[in-house]
Amino acid sequence: MTTLVSYGVAGALLLAVTAYSTAGGTDYGAGIWDLLAGRFRHTGEVRALIDHAMAPVWEANNVWLVFSAVICWTGFPLLYESVFLSLYPLFALALLALILRGAFFAFRKVATSGNSRLLASRVFGLSSLLAPFSFAAALGAIASGKVGVGGPVVPVWQACLDPLAIAFGAVALTATAFSGASFLVGDSRRYRASHGQGPDLVEYFRRRTVVAAVALLGVSLVVLLLIAAESPTVFRGMVAGLGLPFAITAVLAVLAVATLMWRRVYRWFRVLTVVGVGSFVFAWGFGQVPYVLPGRLTIQQAAGAPAIEALLLVITLVALLLVVPSLFLLYTLDQRSALES
Amino acid sequence: MAFTLAYHIILVPLGVALPLLTVVMEGIGLRRNDPVALRLARRWSVVMAVQFAVGAVTGTILSFEFGILWPRMMGRFGDAFGIGFGIEGWAFFLEAIFIGIYLYGWKRLPPKLHYRLGWVLPPSGVLGAFGVIIANSWMNTPAGFQLGPDGRPINVDVVGAIFTPALGYEFWHLIVALYMTASFMVASVYAVGWLRGRQDRYHRLGFTVPFTIGAVLAPIQFVIGDIATRAVFEGQPAKFAAMEITWKTQSHNPEWLGGVLQADGSVVLGLPIPSLDSLLAGFSSDTVVKGLSTFNSSDRPSVVDANFVHLSFDVMVGLGSIACLLTLWYAAAWIRHRDLPRSKWFFRGAALAGVGSYIAIEAGWITTEVGRQPWIVYNLMRVTDAVNPVDPTYIWIMFGTLLVVYAVIAFFFVTLLLRLSARWRVDDEGRRGDEDLAPEEAAPYGPRPA
Repeated sequence: MTTLVSYGVAGALLLAVTAYSTAGGTDYGAGIWDLLAGRFRHTGEVRALIDHAMAPVWEANNVWLVFSAVICWTGFPLLYESVFLSLYPLFALALLALILRGAFFAFRKVATSGNSRLLASRVFGLSSLLAPFSFAAALGAIASGKVGVGGPVVPVWQACLDPLAIAFGAVALTATAFSGASFLVGDSRRYRASHGQGPDLVEYFRRRTVVAAVALLGVSLVVLLLIAAESPTVFRGMVAGLGLPFAITAVLAVLAVATLMWRRVYRWFRVLTVVGVGSFVFAWGFGQVPYVLPGRLTIQQAAGAPAIEALLLVITLVALLLVVPSLFLLYTLDQRSALES
Repeated sequence: MAFTLAYHIILVPLGVALPLLTVVMEGIGLRRNDPVALRLARRWSVVMAVQFAVGAVTGTILSFEFGILWPRMMGRFGDAFGIGFGIEGWAFFLEAIFIGIYLYGWKRLPPKLHYRLGWVLPPSGVLGAFGVIIANSWMNTPAGFQLGPDGRPINVDVVGAIFTPALGYEFWHLIVALYMTASFMVASVYAVGWLRGRQDRYHRLGFTVPFTIGAVLAPIQFVIGDIATRAVFEGQPAKFAAMEITWKTQSHNPEWLGGVLQADGSVVLGLPIPSLDSLLAGFSSDTVVKGLSTFNSSDRPSVVDANFVHLSFDVMVGLGSIACLLTLWYAAAWIRHRDLPRSKWFFRGAALAGVGSYIAIEAGWITTEVGRQPWIVYNLMRVTDAVNPVDPTYIWIMFGTLLVVYAVIAFFFVTLLLRLSARWRVDDEGRRGDEDLAPEEAAPYGPRPA
């Protein structure tokens, strides 16, 4: 029974991390394209579209991040302690990026001079790179086995700069760029439908989605080889264990999105994008089972007090029952406004 | 950490309590069919959204700082301590969603339905504060578990860990404080407008509704605060000794107004009221109050800490008393001529009440947190055992960065609110086409209609 509860809480933790990777990732991806827009024509239009697309999302995505932290320390206190003692510089960087991003996104809107707007755009774009990179690098460092119980097994800086950490960061960058571009295709289609004019940003982001998808698959392949070299347990879990179906789904979903974009079929691509990015996270998460720290700490060993874990699970379920219908209502209202205007 | 928390708490009153003011105002507008009240409610909802978005950022920072700064505490007590945040996280999410709905809904929902959906906001704000207080009161009076051989809690009893002795009074004290602060803060904005001669219906309504709520709560808070202090006397004697700068354990203990404790136990620069402290703590001047010197010097707040706690406590109580005086003035005017007081001095006081409440909240926070030193979990874990064992330089760099970042955020937040207020004033003076730009579309940050 307690085992089941612990696994349930671990599942909730993985879900929160995944939700952040997909929802937050799309947001970061838009920021990355904002940074890259400067080198192409239509810079102004691209930025206007990104402003428009990101505005209603605001900071709600951060909620998933808070949940991940809360579930982690309540459900697996030992894991939380170990991870932070080993990787605190990464989290500090991610936090810094997170704050600068939000602040300069808002600042860009009120900035009046061209120079200050450009500066704001740069900071916003760079922090959109730094945040997902640092978060994913933390996951990579965990997968590499450098995080020991109660502290790192190598010096902190070495754990943070582990090849696998950097590799995970690279996957995160291509994945966020991919999902960002894919969602921006959808946004520019809506934008054009409602405004009936403007340059063809659908085409612009369609091409970028395909490029990002190919890059994502390429980087993932390299990373898989790295995992095989550095962390055999996780590798076995991903190619022969519970992670396998998700790894396959991830590849297929990304390929499917690329194909749809290539052939200009604008259906199902957003759902498939979420499935693809989410499956990458799942493939890693399930690949680690039964460990939270590969080879060192299992889910059961890390689990906190059973009574608290059970309560945490109940709270999460009740909250989901409340939150899901509310989110649906919000989404409906959002769509209705699109119809009206 | 302390700094981030102290900063985050500034955002809390408006986050928790502004929804109630807004919804009440909307209710008044709907019932009396009053466009002025509705306009106020719409504008408040914008402020609510902007500050909520800022709160989301500082809240995220907090949840990671627990790990960056106090990893050892989280590792040992994360489960027993952290469950409150589970509640808080979801309540916050719910509030975020409904703030979105409320904002989108001004134009798109039937007014009645919009109003009813708005009523989801106040309870979810209160629920969130409840969650956080579970965690804080657990740190003050940890309960609901036994210590295992490795120092980790075993046999955790959920109900005991949530409903710790300090929860009841801490919760009510904080909730009332939050509502008071938000009410006085909002009212003070219109009090300033009133003093500057804008004595129209808009300002009258914007002042009266929140100020009345704050005024009703002020005396209630006085009683709750009194109960809370007595509970601290029972449950956390070292903190109580620091609050009252009591050095020697004795009966007939004097109450010091002001005053600085010296290293030898004497007090200078203060006004002692004989036996009052004993009287307040135990309803009899024979009540024995434990002094700081009774505790091991490594188990109690240092002399510097104690002075800090004591002065904060005095500031909080003093400001609370002034709020009560304002309430009396307000009530007297209302009884005598059914109107707002006419004196400019009343409005000057009311204009300062907002800032005063914030200072009181911060002072209260210092009292409870510094008063617990050197413990992070009372009598179980010291702050020094909880922190990240890294080079202090790193901590200082981190702290410096945070200071800069928070200054930036504060700058944005204030600029934004000033801009909004300036724009609204222009709207009101009819210098621009009204209502073609709905207030909820004017904020450059936070949720808005797509």
